[in-house]
Amino acid sequence: MTHTLHRKGTVDNLDNDYVLLCMSAKGINEDGSGAKMQEFLRIALRHKPVNMGDMKTGNMYSSLPEQVVAGVQDGAIVHAVYDNPQTVAQVLKELKEANLGMSVVVSGLFKPVEECCQKAGLKRHTVEYSLGVWGKTDKLPHERVLEVATMCGHGMVAANLVNSLVDEVKRGRSSVEAAKELARQCVCGIFNPTRAAKLLADIAATT
Amino acid sequence: MRVDPNSCTGCGLCVPYCPMGAISLVGVAIIDQDECVECGVCLRAEVCLSDALIYEVASWPRSVRATFSNPLTEHKETRIPGRGTEEMKTNDVTGRFKLGWVGLGVELGRPGIGTRFQDVNRVAQVLAKVGVQFEPRNPVTCLMVDTGTGKINPEVLNEKVLSAIIECTFPLEQTPEVMRTLKEVSQEIDTVCSVDFITRLEPDGEVPTERILSEIGAPYSINGKNNVGLGRPLAKG
Repeated sequence: MTHTLHRKGTVDNLDNDYVLLCMSAKGINEDGSGAKMQEFLRIALRHKPVNMGDMKTGNMYSSLPEQVVAGVQDGAIVHAVYDNPQTVAQVLKELKEANLGMSVVVSGLFKPVEECCQKAGLKRHTVEYSLGVWGKTDKLPHERVLEVATMCGHGMVAANLVNSLVDEVKRGRSSVEAAKELARQCVCGIFNPTRAAKLLADIAATT
Repeated sequence: MRVDPNSCTGCGLCVPYCPMGAISLVGVAIIDQDECVECGVCLRAEVCLSDALIYEVASWPRSVRATFSNPLTEHKETRIPGRGTEEMKTNDVTGRFKLGWVGLGVELGRPGIGTRFQDVNRVAQVLAKVGVQFEPRNPVTCLMVDTGTGKINPEVLNEKVLSAIIECTFPLEQTPEVMRTLKEVSQEIDTVCSVDFITRLEPDGEVPTERILSEIGAPYSINGKNNVGLGRPLAKG
């Protein structure tokens, strides 16, 4: 699955959006992986992510972070989201020192991620590039709505909900609270509510 | 998913949560069963104050809607929740993608439009004709009745899902042909598709697909996924 790929945005607003994913390989290093991924999340939490979660037990806007950590089992897929590359470099450095043996994927702007890897003493192994959206693109919502909605790669954040919350922000609802409501829908915890709050406020102010 | 008309108060709070726009208000909320992809978002949102949303496990072939649309549903074939495979995420350990090869992902229906398997079938069959190798542990591949032709089980063709990912590999030098073929068939489908390339880095850190995509003038995004090589045991080769 490619749920942390295809996030729309500009260089400026994507520089507030980095997702770390940790998982085991089925049939190779899966046994005992739950404890290692719990350690991944403990390291991640020390660096104050803007979101975190486990695909099976939910995210920090639907559960307490401690509950998410406690619920991690062998074979889980866990995530943490940061709003700056400096923190990502620090987390990667700690993960390298922890030597958990689990695969880690960082999604974000390629250049800053490469720099983060260099600072942490890591070399990228494999990369995945988005070639964009093809086909009947006239069916798509507005690009600015997509910048928000594509932060949930499983499509759990409806474009209609983004539009509805923009209307609420225009009527006085806090964009931070509106962004949290969107984050609640993305069960994996890869939605970035900090970036979303800024995007919602921008859309509300200019449309 | 369906709405109990006797419980629904017609408040409309659930309407914007549906990623497919399948909920409408006609006095009470109703869900267009042909458009509903059984993703479960409306129910998990917990906005219905009268518990009127009812989820019932569907029988085959409608059952594929939930397995492809609800990320909490694990595919029995891959044992992975979501829509694809481990693909590049564990490539440092599995070595699934070798040097000189490209992994292609074509996720039909994404972002936010949804797809019928008719369109998945069309794209898969065109890709099969140029000789790509379908990923055997991918949920779409598991629905194929013939992986040589890419033909999808006819029983599911009219089922709608939030998205479905065709995953395949081909030699690096075949990139221009595959891109051209995919471009053509993408104009014939009734939905969108998000396209991605996976490659292992060369020993000197070069991304081989970057060079080829630049040569053929294919744009790629400024952001993407990076496996940082922390998995162990490290794959050989």
